[in-house]
Amino acid sequence: MIPVALVPGVLALLPDYASLEDPVADLRAACREAVAALGPRVRVVASTPSARRVGEHLVSAAGAEVAEHDPTGVLVVANGSATRTEKAPGHLDERAEAFDESLRELLAGPDPAGLAAIDTALGAELWADVDGLVALADLLTPAQRVDVRYDAAPYGVQYWVIGYA
Amino acid sequence: MTLQLGRHAFDDDAPLMMAIVNRTPDSFYDKGATWTEDAAFERVRTVVEQGAEIVDIGGIKAAPGVEIGPAEEKARVVDFVARVRAAYPGLVISVDTWRAEVGDAVCAAGADVLNDAWGGADPELVDAAAQHGAAIICTHTGGVTPRTRPYRIEYDDVVAAAIADTVAYAERALAAGVARESIVIDPAHDFGKNTFHSLELTRRLGEMVATGWPVLVSLSNKDFVGETLDLPVGERLVGTLAATAVSALAGARIYRVHEVVETRQTVDMAWSIAGRRPPRRAIRGLQ
Repeated sequence: MIPVALVPGVLALLPDYASLEDPVADLRAACREAVAALGPRVRVVASTPSARRVGEHLVSAAGAEVAEHDPTGVLVVANGSATRTEKAPGHLDERAEAFDESLRELLAGPDPAGLAAIDTALGAELWADVDGLVALADLLTPAQRVDVRYDAAPYGVQYWVIGYA
Repeated sequence: MTLQLGRHAFDDDAPLMMAIVNRTPDSFYDKGATWTEDAAFERVRTVVEQGAEIVDIGGIKAAPGVEIGPAEEKARVVDFVARVRAAYPGLVISVDTWRAEVGDAVCAAGADVLNDAWGGADPELVDAAAQHGAAIICTHTGGVTPRTRPYRIEYDDVVAAAIADTVAYAERALAAGVARESIVIDPAHDFGKNTFHSLELTRRLGEMVATGWPVLVSLSNKDFVGETLDLPVGERLVGTLAATAVSALAGARIYRVHEVVETRQTVDMAWSIAGRRPPRRAIRGLQ
């Protein structure tokens, strides 16, 4: 298996939206380290054009190139719910924390079978972007080394940055 | 263009706050509040804490009044400049004077900028700036005598006149040996101008910016704001900030102010609207 990294599709990571003070400095640093482990040619798996843009930016920022064929690593762009607090983009949904907790267990395993069976309908209700997490099922084996570099919901959205090697 | 203000260099996209520090008993806004040296020094400390990059120290009020000779003017500002220089090595010190003799003395004491509010009334001021490697502010007054009020002055085109005079002054400073990056132009609102003139200068400030010389504006609590809104000194901050926002949008680089914090916020906001400054911290809708 080639190395895989998971990052969230946070638009604030794009240079178009740079602030004087980086509101996602820790997340950005974690993404940089995770993407650096993917080698020079990286396939990006993303569910939306904007998530793809974030992934492609992180790849080029790491000095690598985006490659569909014969990649040295795979970057999956996905994240948990966006309904974790009253100020979250989708407001507070009481189910969000438990949903993210279940995702956390599947990702930390990793548990490919469980990832393939994620409740995507509930994910959509919770404004989560889980398509990439489902796609991880085909990219991971349960024996892989898991390196959780970031796990937090600083703005009401659950982010993970995880490396699999 | 990079700005070189004496010892200090600034990037070409950085708007700067120049805080007014009066060593006068009778200036129109503070009415002598910082007349004593310790009070003036306290004012410096405050504006530095508020983030001003420049202090503009003046020993003579602009309006007519008791005549202050060069000896008295020097007594008010030279030692004070030395004290501020020693306490704040990173601060740009400007001195508001039209006299070459005073300019020479304050530069020797550590001043970085000579702010000639009276448009080159003393032709040797540029030599003092050149000799000390200081910057100079070239203002437009329409040729009036220092410390006189405008009276029935008219222009065919006040903006064209301001550009012609300040650029000519800038070229004269350059010829005298002042560095190109140390020359700033200032339309000088209300100096040799009525309210209509100052409003038009504000409205068309972009034409001055387009000369390529960095532009300073001195708008703070002035009579053109007061007359426009019919408000006395002390109630002109909002009007000042409105004029500041318009000037910032046009690209003025230095803001000579009484209120540092409010002006900085206004300029930062306009600078960001103009696309020259990112927001401080934007995450809404981007998380």
